[in-house]
Amino acid sequence: MTLLEGRGLSKRFGGVTALDQVSFSVEEGTIVALIGPNGAGKTTLFNLVAGALKPDAGQILFAGEEITGLTANVTCRRGLARTFQVTRPFATMTCLENVAVAVVNSPRSRANGTWRLSAHECLKAVGLGDLAHIEARHLNVVQKKRLEIARALATRPKLLMLDEVLGGLNTQEIGQAVDFIRSLRDEHHLTVFWIEHVMGAIMQAAEKIIVLDQGRRLMEGSPEEVVKDSRVIQAYLGD
Amino acid sequence: MTDRRFFVILFVAVGLLSLLPLGLGVYHLHVMIVSLFYVMMASSWNLLAGYTGQVSFAHAAFAGIGAYTSGILAAKFGLNPWIGVFIGTILAALIGLGMGILCLRMGGIYLSLTTLGFSEILRIVITNEYEITRGTMGLQVPGLVADYSKPAYFYIMLGGAMLTLIVLYKLIYSDIGLNFRAVQNDERAAASLGVDVVRMRVLAFTVSSALAGMAGGLYGHYLLLITPEIPSLDQQFLVLSMTVIGGMGSFLGPIIGAISLEIFSEYIRAYGEYHVLVFGLVALVVARFAPNGLMGLAEHRLRGRRKASRTVSAAAG
Ligand SMILES: Nc1ncnc2c1ncn2[C@@H]1O[C@H](COP(=O)(O)OP(=O)(O)OP(=O)(O)O)[C@@H](O)[C@H]1O
Ligand SMILES: [Mg+2]
Repeated sequence: MTLLEGRGLSKRFGGVTALDQVSFSVEEGTIVALIGPNGAGKTTLFNLVAGALKPDAGQILFAGEEITGLTANVTCRRGLARTFQVTRPFATMTCLENVAVAVVNSPRSRANGTWRLSAHECLKAVGLGDLAHIEARHLNVVQKKRLEIARALATRPKLLMLDEVLGGLNTQEIGQAVDFIRSLRDEHHLTVFWIEHVMGAIMQAAEKIIVLDQGRRLMEGSPEEVVKDSRVIQAYLGD
Repeated sequence: MTDRRFFVILFVAVGLLSLLPLGLGVYHLHVMIVSLFYVMMASSWNLLAGYTGQVSFAHAAFAGIGAYTSGILAAKFGLNPWIGVFIGTILAALIGLGMGILCLRMGGIYLSLTTLGFSEILRIVITNEYEITRGTMGLQVPGLVADYSKPAYFYIMLGGAMLTLIVLYKLIYSDIGLNFRAVQNDERAAASLGVDVVRMRVLAFTVSSALAGMAGGLYGHYLLLITPEIPSLDQQFLVLSMTVIGGMGSFLGPIIGAISLEIFSEYIRAYGEYHVLVFGLVALVVARFAPNGLMGLAEHRLRGRRKASRTVSAAAG
């Protein structure tokens, strides 16, 4: 079943066409990667889907309902969570409080009334359990990315949208991160939509890859198909 | 801070302050009454500026709305002043709500501009509607108690301040307070986690305006003469200075700032009415070099143990 679908999405910033008639779909229970050279429009696509920006044209459907133009807080409540490529922690709040914001606003995690426990669980899941009471401004870049993921998980999403979360990790840590993201899908039945530059990780984890180039959808296919595609190679080398 | 600790500290402080009328003369009691008015004003302004990062220049104007509403109802229509204060509070809340809905969708700077304009319009209206407000002459209003006495007003203002602080505490240390701080830190991130940013700002503005309305209403019936001084921009900048110097975004900061600046201004009053200007300049320097004010400096000294325990309990309570 299709969980997320974009139809003919376009977005311009002044003279720059960041996205041009892009259509795509993300099937429920899969890990779908979104790749492309710098400035291809990947983050812009996330911003449109999550409601941070409104598209100039096109439609977005989530779980069978149209969500085009809904604001970010509404899409979040519908079950769509995203991380920010340039992290946006609540600097003067502790890690636990950062995650608690997501928990208290989630119609799903509120049900059992034990949000503090669940906020802790989310922090522990990303390995920040020991830093729960540290103010977020003291975290390093890698830890801030983890906090982004913890907050997103704490909203109890159906769809998790990750924007370059592996930056700054070594090979071994990347392996662990990939295992973690897979486990989210396998054990918690999350659907993952994932922007990443680290191709090794994508090749291991993704069932499907969507390639953007200069605001257009270049191709879509399995990891094997994508690496063999001459247009993709061209887009990356020509960049 | 845990609930228990807050209420223990509050009740001990109120208990000790209750003894003041026994030892203080009429003049010093007056200074304390005015201080309590500013405690209400600065603390409620802090909810807005310190916890959601929006600057309103109409806080004194809302105090004026409270004061004039209650004053006019009592002086012209013979309404019981207590009911008048209540109505003034509600009216301030409603106007705050309306203004919030109109301009907070567009962002914080619009609130600052709108409230600045609103303050000025209100001043002009009050000054010109002589028939109703007695303009700069001032409107004579009845008191809140049958027999005027400073101790009675001291206890009334103490009660008002206590109520204000309890409301603020309950709000700040709730899920809503958590959302306020998230909005102040980063509204886009807050929205992405499900926070309704506009609603949070409107809520903070409404509550803050209502509390200013109540403070103004009580204060007007203490002064017995309501003048455009109450909703003036002078007054606004005094409240701003008290909050900034005391420590914006900390619960205790505005309380310390209000009491110390009011007492201090009594001392320098002899040198003319420049105190607002002086405080404004001090507030500018503080904002630049010690953005967390006196409380920030104090906390800096006690850093480590104290700070850790404060943030931990904030998360837990
Ligand atoms: N808010 C904005 N205002 C103006 N231009 C923007 C804005 N956001 C993105 N752009 C432009 O749109 C284009 C696509 O940017 P986007 O951030 O979506 O690329 P990306 O694929 O995420 O790149 P990267 O891999 O570097 O993160 C770029 O040319 C960028 O400069
Ligand atoms: Mg990007």
